[in-house]
Amino acid sequence: MLSRLLLPFLCGLACASLLAQAPPEAIDLSKFPAAAVDEVVVPVPSEIFNVLDKLGSPNWKAEMRDNLGKNTGNRAQVALLLGTVIADGFIAVEAENSESVKQIGQEVLNLADAINVRKAVIARSKSIIDKADAKNWRAVREELDGALQDVRGAMVELGDADLAQLVSIGGWIRGTEVLTSIVGKNYSASGAELLNQPELVIFFSRRIDEMRNSRLKKEELVGRVRKLLRDIRPLIGKSGISQASVEKINKMTNEIVVVIASEEPAAP
Amino acid sequence: MKLRIPLFVSLAFAVVASVAWATVNDALSFAKEAAAPYAKQGYTIREDAWGGDLGVKDQQAVTAQLFKGNEYGFWLATDTRGAVITVHIYDSEGKLAETEFWQKGRFAGAKITPSKTGAYYAIVTVEKSPQERSNWALVYGYR
Repeated sequence: MLSRLLLPFLCGLACASLLAQAPPEAIDLSKFPAAAVDEVVVPVPSEIFNVLDKLGSPNWKAEMRDNLGKNTGNRAQVALLLGTVIADGFIAVEAENSESVKQIGQEVLNLADAINVRKAVIARSKSIIDKADAKNWRAVREELDGALQDVRGAMVELGDADLAQLVSIGGWIRGTEVLTSIVGKNYSASGAELLNQPELVIFFSRRIDEMRNSRLKKEELVGRVRKLLRDIRPLIGKSGISQASVEKINKMTNEIVVVIASEEPAAP
Repeated sequence: MKLRIPLFVSLAFAVVASVAWATVNDALSFAKEAAAPYAKQGYTIREDAWGGDLGVKDQQAVTAQLFKGNEYGFWLATDTRGAVITVHIYDSEGKLAETEFWQKGRFAGAKITPSKTGAYYAIVTVEKSPQERSNWALVYGYR
């Protein structure tokens, strides 16, 4: 029944593509008004892990952390930590470690609670745990992507868009740490190319620079993250990322992940 | 009488607000409808979406970080009956990068298999519309 409905739709689309007017082969992006290109779509972690799946079989277990970090009560730290923990969820999925995934699902809930968005992730957290039990890894990934979006959406609704951005940045930092670790251990130009994300780094930097919450912006930890993004930019903003650059980015992101997970306030 | 005016105003506001909300939701529903068949082809369709409203011949660029090794599909829709919209994907140098595209009235789509990892631009255009401004919504998926 469904295929009977889908077939005419797909045939219609095929005919439509033949009839559609050909687009220009090139456009001048500089002529777009700034407001028209301001937003950058932040990729969900699954997009990157999807590519990593195709690159080989890294030792994901070696990338897992024993200690996910502690909630210090500092909202900036909790938001960044939440992002890193969600990224750890993806690593645990890759390692097919259902116990770790379940632990991470619970930790996501605890951290969401600390920044008043528990309600937004209760269903996701339960679903992550259920699907990890069933070892339905693709579904767990989708739930983790969804948890990240739900947390961010709930924060924006609460007027905490700045904090929501920190969750994304935390996830990106931990994801980049793992990505550089894997690529660095078995370096290839195509693997390193996954780090070619200059627009994203610029976008994250801009979001921190434009934070409305001046108190949050002045946080020591936020300052360190801003510096990290600034230092990473020249390393990934050109085509061809060397092994030395990959290792340097790994060291830089690792240091920040350790600080985010630390119980101590960020050192200047 | 005094009570009636604010009540009327608030009711009118509520109606306008609900209509506006409904149209944004409609554009999004249509975009998801266009994307749905591709989930059966292995695409993971992202839950979040991008949208807004544009005048005729106006364009909006949505910047996306895409990764070599994935295939991406973009699906665009408008709630405006009789409008024609398009979406095309360009690389960071402004070169057309999509592998295919299609357009069918209020729906449009494009696919890309990035030859390199980096920033890409989904250019949304309202080619024609019976209305001054048309709501649009864009979703994308990958596999």
